[in-house]
Amino acid sequence: MSPLRQPSLPTLVKLSPLLAPFVALFLGGLALAVAQSLGFWLPLPYEGGPFDAYARLLDPYLLRSAGLSLYVALVSALFSVAVGSVLAYAIWRLPRALERAAVVYKVPLILPPIAVGFIVLVFWSNSGVISSVGFHLGLVERPADFPSVLYGGCGLGMILAYVYKQVPFMVILGYAVLKRVSPQLVVTARMLGAGEAYTFFRVVLPHLAKVMHVAFIILFLYDFGAFDIPFLLGESSPGMLSVEVFNLYFRRDLSNRPTAMAMLVCMFLFSLLFIVLYTKLASRLENRERKL
Amino acid sequence: MIPRLFYAFIAFVSLFPLVVMVGYALAPGWTFPDLIPQPVDGRALEYLLSQAGPVARHMGASVLYSLLTVLLTLLFCLSPAHHFARCEFRGKVLLEGLLLAPALVPAMTFSMGVHTMFIHLGLADSFVGVVLVLSTFSYPYMLRALIAGFQAVGPEYEQCARNLGAGFMTRLVRIELPLLVPSMVAGGSVVFLVAFSEYFLVFLIGGGAVDSFTGYLFPYLASSDRSMGALLTLLFLIVPVGLFVFIELAVSRVYRRRGLY
Repeated sequence: MSPLRQPSLPTLVKLSPLLAPFVALFLGGLALAVAQSLGFWLPLPYEGGPFDAYARLLDPYLLRSAGLSLYVALVSALFSVAVGSVLAYAIWRLPRALERAAVVYKVPLILPPIAVGFIVLVFWSNSGVISSVGFHLGLVERPADFPSVLYGGCGLGMILAYVYKQVPFMVILGYAVLKRVSPQLVVTARMLGAGEAYTFFRVVLPHLAKVMHVAFIILFLYDFGAFDIPFLLGESSPGMLSVEVFNLYFRRDLSNRPTAMAMLVCMFLFSLLFIVLYTKLASRLENRERKL
Repeated sequence: MIPRLFYAFIAFVSLFPLVVMVGYALAPGWTFPDLIPQPVDGRALEYLLSQAGPVARHMGASVLYSLLTVLLTLLFCLSPAHHFARCEFRGKVLLEGLLLAPALVPAMTFSMGVHTMFIHLGLADSFVGVVLVLSTFSYPYMLRALIAGFQAVGPEYEQCARNLGAGFMTRLVRIELPLLVPSMVAGGSVVFLVAFSEYFLVFLIGGGAVDSFTGYLFPYLASSDRSMGALLTLLFLIVPVGLFVFIELAVSRVYRRRGLY
């Protein structure tokens, strides 16, 4: 199926309905963020050099905040992709009737991020559901005995919320790929004496690898830059980058605007760099696999 | 036996939080260390009924701006998706990657800039501004779905209709759009869900002047009384689930009546 070689209308005309909002809003918004980070177009006169705001980002507090964001994003995305892949495979292997009934796994995906954050609060706070179960098992006597999962300083609450919401996302993607794979592959592998784990890693995983890479990029960057869940579950001092930006932008005086914008610009550049490096790395891994 | 256990596990993990939400909705005074929600009383439900007006208003606003976002992303993406699926041109791969960027990179970066822009344009704190920023953020899902849709349909239908003398509008309305319905529904569902669930962008650009269900929900979720947050979370699920079921039924009915399936 070869595409028509002669476009009926020039490319620019055909793409204009999308290029117009993309350039005006997305690139325009970016340009304004960059300009404000350099000290232009601010609501107040700015007394500083163009790169002063960027110099302020080396503040140890902000660096710790960046570290927390990277850590939470990495752990959440890794966990979601790993667990989601295994579950997608397990659902694919279910008998037909159960396989169809398994759509309930989509529920956490339909819930908005703030509601998932709320569920984590209800379950994991010191007086939450898990703590009550612990009480009946004789592990917890008072709410204060419960380990502080939510505000322990390492973002565990946010990780729990992200994983709960994003495992189903990985399951959808992985399951869609597996639907196109013949179940005979697994049967054959098992008949030839491969164990359950060996079958998964050597027969099923190569089919899933590509979509796992895509999912990892999407989830990692979302978790790195999202605001809703950290705002509800957020730990302070330091918080996630997005919450720190929000505080600088809305809760402090206007002189902090360039710093907030410089943080956003760096987050954006980091995201671009991450996409480029990760896709390069993934394709190199794939090529090495093929040579074997 | 093992498949059943595994299925039970999935169902439990997915649905148990909702059961807990129901518990809080029925027993607002449920506290540590009780495992069974008690005492059961109708306080939360009564309060919700007393707030029926505001709840309906915010819910309606959210549904409206989410539907408009779906419509706008469809208008943005229809012609470009056709072009990406049907034609070769220089820089195609790079451009396609760039156009998907708004869904990948942190939305905060461009939206904070857009916020400043909208203040100058008078679009801040306006319904139109919210729809515009949500569309910018969520159109990549629509674009992907439509490109895949055009690729799945193939160019033959168009060529055939063109050979038979169908003009541009006829081809669009009688051939392309009907064949694209499944992809439009797929892309539209994701866009609707993204727009309907979004808290920050609506809060930033709407500035509290634009009603939204997430904006209404947030203070309840952050409060110490969990019953109202639980009730509203359950209420939140009804809209997307109801909409998906309705679309599923409507689309399959239309298709059956036209004998397409």
